[in-house]
Amino acid sequence: MSVVATLLSGQLLFAALVTGAIYALVALGLNLVYGTLRMLNVAHGDVVMLGAYAAYWTFSGLGVSPLVAAPAIAMLGALAGWLLYRGVIRRLLGSGATASTRLEGNSLLLFFGLSIIVQNAVALAFTPNNRGYSHLDQVHQLAGVAMTGNRIAALAIAGATCVGAALFLSRSLAGLSMRAVIERREAAYIVGIDVDRVQAASFAIGFASAALAGVLLSMLEQFSPFSGFPYTIAAFIVIILGGLGNVAAGLGAALLLGVLETYGVALTSANLRSVLLYGVFVGALLLFPRGLFARRAVRA
Amino acid sequence: MSRLWAAALAALALALGVLPFAANDYLVATGLSLLMWLALTQSWCVLSKMTGYVSLGHVVFYGMGAYLVVVTWQRWPLALAVPAAGIVAALFAALVGLPVLRVRGPYFVILTFGLAELVRYALVAYEAASGTASRILFGAPDLVVIYFAMYALAVGATVLLALVARSRFGHGLRSLRENEEAAETVGVPVVGYKLAAFVLSAAIPGMVGGVMALRSTYFVVDQVFDPMISVTVIAMALLGGGDGPRGPVLGTLFLFTLSQLLWAHAPLAYMLILGTVLVVFVLVAPNGIVGLFETARERRRLGALAREPV
Repeated sequence: MSVVATLLSGQLLFAALVTGAIYALVALGLNLVYGTLRMLNVAHGDVVMLGAYAAYWTFSGLGVSPLVAAPAIAMLGALAGWLLYRGVIRRLLGSGATASTRLEGNSLLLFFGLSIIVQNAVALAFTPNNRGYSHLDQVHQLAGVAMTGNRIAALAIAGATCVGAALFLSRSLAGLSMRAVIERREAAYIVGIDVDRVQAASFAIGFASAALAGVLLSMLEQFSPFSGFPYTIAAFIVIILGGLGNVAAGLGAALLLGVLETYGVALTSANLRSVLLYGVFVGALLLFPRGLFARRAVRA
Repeated sequence: MSRLWAAALAALALALGVLPFAANDYLVATGLSLLMWLALTQSWCVLSKMTGYVSLGHVVFYGMGAYLVVVTWQRWPLALAVPAAGIVAALFAALVGLPVLRVRGPYFVILTFGLAELVRYALVAYEAASGTASRILFGAPDLVVIYFAMYALAVGATVLLALVARSRFGHGLRSLRENEEAAETVGVPVVGYKLAAFVLSAAIPGMVGGVMALRSTYFVVDQVFDPMISVTVIAMALLGGGDGPRGPVLGTLFLFTLSQLLWAHAPLAYMLILGTVLVVFVLVAPNGIVGLFETARERRRLGALAREPV
């Protein structure tokens, strides 16, 4: 296939859209947690991985379709996020004597420790081997493009969840208070927003969306206890490009990353996938540390 | 306390110095890897403990050094290749330092990680494209020679950190850890100091990687850029605490002993414990073992004061 034909194929565009939608969903949770607490959760991808395992077990053990189990698994994720916030994170915030930059560094190490624990505990319990299952993998032809049912479902669910989250943040009172905490934390305190509750909620929503992303991913590709980390990195790229706490711009950035990755690999080779991903990552951090769509005057 | 510490350090240096004459190859190799971690952790502290710019990409210098020594194998004499490994690592730090050190806080942490991974995957792709997947090294120097080269690097890194920690330069670095804007206002050359610390902390791991490459008879690029090396270095420094050379020594000894006990029999359990150590120390003792000692001493002093009649 020639280069032009490759670029114009609907097949590739569809693949880019699916990848982008999943990245958007993973990045959504990371963005909320970083936005409200200024903590980079490097264990975020591991929540995705845990969601994938939960879907795998409900499907192969109980015979329940992952699409049916998804709400329950997302609720479990929310519970885990809420418990982590209550049990551990508040403690870290409580030791207020440390300077804020050191808190950020320390919280990163804390999440790194948690990430190592989760990965290896899962490897110990369920073996480090790759797992996967087939579900809804019959091919449909839509507008001349061959799509499997699971990819259509993943695209629809991830897209709908992201749009729903964007609406929640811009329309509902709870969403607005969350955005207030993201943008001006001290001011949010002053106008009477219960910052502690908002933070707990952002942890719960963040973990729920990550677990949901894991459920969707488990239908599409194989996974292992260590496959969460690349999603953490992809989500970092998305929130760096999209800008902090900006969910709508994050959606655009995620689609951009999906397109870059899919087309980049199609035009070069699969060996260069990691080079491409980390290249965009380093470039984005160096060139746009405040995001592609940042309005300069907003943040002091 | 400080006299006790100096005596303990001298005893450790002496014990490690006579080890190759008194022990079998297995123990010497164990001592070698202890020295390697010591050199890596001390050099990491020069930038990251002093300035608070936590680098999660220390392995990039190690990997570049190892790679240089391997590709110049049997073409350059080692006496040239190993120092060149340090120089290349320092040059790389100088080159990327200015843009990288502009980024702060958690962004700096993940940027250094991403940069190390970028170099790793770029080299892996380059090797794959040029048709070399791995290399076999023949005729590497004797273990004892490698051991003493590493000994010199560990001592060098410890002395470097001790000198930096005491110097005017070190106080400047500490000041920008506390408040970069304030440091700049009172006249600390912030940009130059950060860059100098970054370059200083890069040279030693470059040479350490170059020396360790000689131990790998079978060399794979992917392995010398393993991000777990960076994580382990951070864990050792964090465990030790403080910003002088004392913390890294304590932290390295502690974690190294733990890994020796567990790694061979239960690698997953070792990783679990490593993760737990990180979590527990961040939550309970963010100032590490040194911090625990200091708190205990402070408490004793206050207790003694309280018992005195007023």
